[in-house]
Amino acid sequence: MRNIIALCLLLGFAPTVWAGGYAYTIRPTELKTKPYTDAKTLTSLPPRTRVEVLTRQASWTQVKSASFSGWVKMLNLKLESNVQNKRGDNGLRALFNVASTGRSSSTVTTGIRGLSEEQLKNATPNPQALQDAKRYAVSREAARRYAEEGKLHAQSVDYLQGGQ
Amino acid sequence: MKTNQIIILLGVLGTTFPAAAFDFGKIDLNKAIETVKKVQKANTDINEPQEITLGQGIAGSLLGAAPLLDNPPVQEYVNRVGRWLTLQTERPDLPWQFGVLDDNDVNAFSAPGGYVFITKGLLAQMNSEAELAGVLAHEISHVLRKHHLQAIKKSARTELLADLANDAIKNNGKDPRLTKLVSAGTEVYARGLDKKDEFEADRMGVVIAARGGYDPYGLPAVLQTLESLNPSDSSVALMFKTHPALADRLSVLDQEMSGQFTMEENQPDLAPRFFQALGAGKK
Repeated sequence: MRNIIALCLLLGFAPTVWAGGYAYTIRPTELKTKPYTDAKTLTSLPPRTRVEVLTRQASWTQVKSASFSGWVKMLNLKLESNVQNKRGDNGLRALFNVASTGRSSSTVTTGIRGLSEEQLKNATPNPQALQDAKRYAVSREAARRYAEEGKLHAQSVDYLQGGQ
Repeated sequence: MKTNQIIILLGVLGTTFPAAAFDFGKIDLNKAIETVKKVQKANTDINEPQEITLGQGIAGSLLGAAPLLDNPPVQEYVNRVGRWLTLQTERPDLPWQFGVLDDNDVNAFSAPGGYVFITKGLLAQMNSEAELAGVLAHEISHVLRKHHLQAIKKSARTELLADLANDAIKNNGKDPRLTKLVSAGTEVYARGLDKKDEFEADRMGVVIAARGGYDPYGLPAVLQTLESLNPSDSSVALMFKTHPALADRLSVLDQEMSGQFTMEENQPDLAPRFFQALGAGKK
């Protein structure tokens, strides 16, 4: 994974990065030198330590502050809601014309459409749209090819038991 | 003995419904018994083709509420990722179909038979293909476990379900009984599923993503992002209302995933492909 990040950087891709986002620890949290359980522990951060979030790697998040930097377990963090409502801006909201707050003007003008509770209850079925959507469905073979292109390897993993 | 039991039963009925229990004059007792028998006997076991018929109707309703995003490359991308995930499940042969809805709301839906929709508002909150896979796998799990079908069975009239189960309903989109069932089915989306079904879909979703070769922490990462959104924003109102609190979902996933994915920790999240496929050309 470290190699993948290095490769990404080499190719000019950013790995999963949310520069500018902040979070705080929700429980005592070990700060590690690397994103591994057996990596060296630098220090233990008390709850409510504010950190800047740099990147995520599986269950680990890279963080820094004025006095330290390292890796912590992702789920020991709660992200702060910032003005953007987000861990920085990934550019997709602008691309899809998603308003940062509230509903877009197009939703307002069409009025009756939308996914609110009331709108869902009163939705008029649109079977033609479902028919249109069908043309994007892909075959097993196409899905397998695309996974292969991404170097995804199917694994055998049992479902988690869960506590119920 | 038996007589005693009946007397006790009548006594109980009498105390519970003192006015109505013995007032048989207004109802046709034979007819009432017939109806009870019919409902008891009614077979409401929905087979797969019937499940797909109902799901088609519901999916059509969801698309009536929000249109498909007019972006074929993005639609194809989401279908490729989703279809690959379905191949890792116990129901790979359903007519799986995925779609991105042109709506700012942050939400995702699935319908019986293999229909999965995600809003562009939710897509825009994501940072990698593993995150997309986590959300799609959560929705796929609802279909695998027939969560919506069970919710509909609880809320729809039994005789309508029996008609569907007995193939008495024609799938030409015009049968009023199907319309009623679809309407009852669509209301489930406004009300939400059982909380335990959502936790189950989370628990299964991370495993299905891991089976697909993805970083299994995509789903928790999305949930963590959603937790940072302003809960008073209208775009998250329905999602927040119909799901357990994000802090609870994250805490459950944290516990249940802990130590379970040591082999899968290093699987890729395909963030570059995600941004490329969505046309963002990030950095």
